[in-house]
Amino acid sequence: MAFPYAFRVAARSIIHEKWINLLSILTMAAGLLFTAITILSIYNVDIATKRLPEKFSMMLYLNDNLSQEELKNIMNTIREDGAVETVKYISKDEALKELEASLKDIQYVLNGLGENPLADSIEVKLKKEAVQPETVKRLAAKIEGLEGIGGIEYGEKFLASIYSINVGMKTIGIIFVTIMSAGMIFVCYSTVKILFYRKNQEIETYKLLGAKKGFIRTPFIIEGAVIGLSAGLLSFVGILSLYYMIIFRLSLTIPLFKAIVFPTDIAIFLPLVGLIIGMIGAAIAIGRIRY
Amino acid sequence: MIHFHDVSKHYHDQTALRKITFSIEKGELVFVTGPSGAGKTTLLKLIYLAEKPDEGNISVAGLEIDKLKESKIPLLRRNIGVVFQDFKLLTNRNVFENVALALRIRGVDDKDLKTCVFDALKVVNLRHRSDSYPGSMSGGEQQRVAIARAIVGEPSIILADEPTGNVDPDTSAGIIRTLKDINARGTTILIATHNRELFRNTGRRVLRLDNGDLVGEEIA
Repeated sequence: MAFPYAFRVAARSIIHEKWINLLSILTMAAGLLFTAITILSIYNVDIATKRLPEKFSMMLYLNDNLSQEELKNIMNTIREDGAVETVKYISKDEALKELEASLKDIQYVLNGLGENPLADSIEVKLKKEAVQPETVKRLAAKIEGLEGIGGIEYGEKFLASIYSINVGMKTIGIIFVTIMSAGMIFVCYSTVKILFYRKNQEIETYKLLGAKKGFIRTPFIIEGAVIGLSAGLLSFVGILSLYYMIIFRLSLTIPLFKAIVFPTDIAIFLPLVGLIIGMIGAAIAIGRIRY
Repeated sequence: MIHFHDVSKHYHDQTALRKITFSIEKGELVFVTGPSGAGKTTLLKLIYLAEKPDEGNISVAGLEIDKLKESKIPLLRRNIGVVFQDFKLLTNRNVFENVALALRIRGVDDKDLKTCVFDALKVVNLRHRSDSYPGSMSGGEQQRVAIARAIVGEPSIILADEPTGNVDPDTSAGIIRTLKDINARGTTILIATHNRELFRNTGRRVLRLDNGDLVGEEIA
């Protein structure tokens, strides 16, 4: 079929069946909007957890009166582990100075202290890819077994929770996006199927006049693509409006919302996904053409 | 051009055609006649493969159509112009677009298409009605649009199923005259009709069907 003619036929049908098409566009746009919100949430949680390794460190508190030799041994043993990026010794005097600096407005709380109550410590930073609950747990167990270590602090539960949230959100997201995609394909399928049934006699005439399957299918596929693309564009406008509403309105009262990142790829992703879903729905609806 | 050999067609327990054998040569104009239910429409449908035979062999324009692959059916149908009993015109398209459809299906570009459509409409005397819609036309005019659509692609065979049904005698005569003119250019034509007046004294071959049997063949 000459493509311009297929476009003309599809355009005529879109205009002629405007209400059913508009309804399909709105339904699909709503589905795509929810999908986009899910993806945006996962994206932001993912970014937040990716930033975590830079800030993550383990604090090892040392027993008092360790010799230089013993300290050197501990630091070398830790450094040799593949997961470790840097090892930094912090004396109890340095620790106290840091504490004083951080409490400079309420320094009176430290006035009652006689002797420095803090312990010498070692700060261990891990390689980015090693900041995983299992790796950290393994390293902590290894360090705990070393002589001269008084205690370890690394926020085990916090780390585990963040990773559980990340994995959980991704799993729920994949399930949600799959269900929504199936739903949107069904919406487009139903629309094209209704149009296909309405044009049954016309299609029969096409077949009897010698039309090939492509000639019959192409206008319906174009129609499905237009429905999907329009829904994609509409949902993009929706998510963009929602984002700016959150950034400009809600972030005034809840500053945390300022940290939300909007991936610009979504401007291409949503219309493209809409287009593909629309075409798939239409192709399934037409099914096999028999002569 | 068209050869039937021992062809039978059944619908459930009813026999529409029983062991039919005949041949139509290139350039012939042949009538198929018989009462309602004799099997005329079924015979035409077997030629353009709207139905498949249960037994026997059919050859059309050199193609063994009972063995034809599904993908080749459109090519067979493009070689056959059919004037359907119920016209099968698209009511949401005007006369020009209805006739042009047969060419668009063949992939003819817009420039050539326009000339061919107006030529076909000229043959059936409907050039002035190209913008009209089928719903606003009489039965005879719609019939002529259907003929224009059948001839526009210059097929080698034209099948006409009751082409003068529901039209007045003058219009009937006009339609048959048009089909004869087309036949004079070398197109093979098969006309199914129950109206004996159409072929009386035409000197054309007539195949007579009754209750699914080919009961006679004569020159009118």
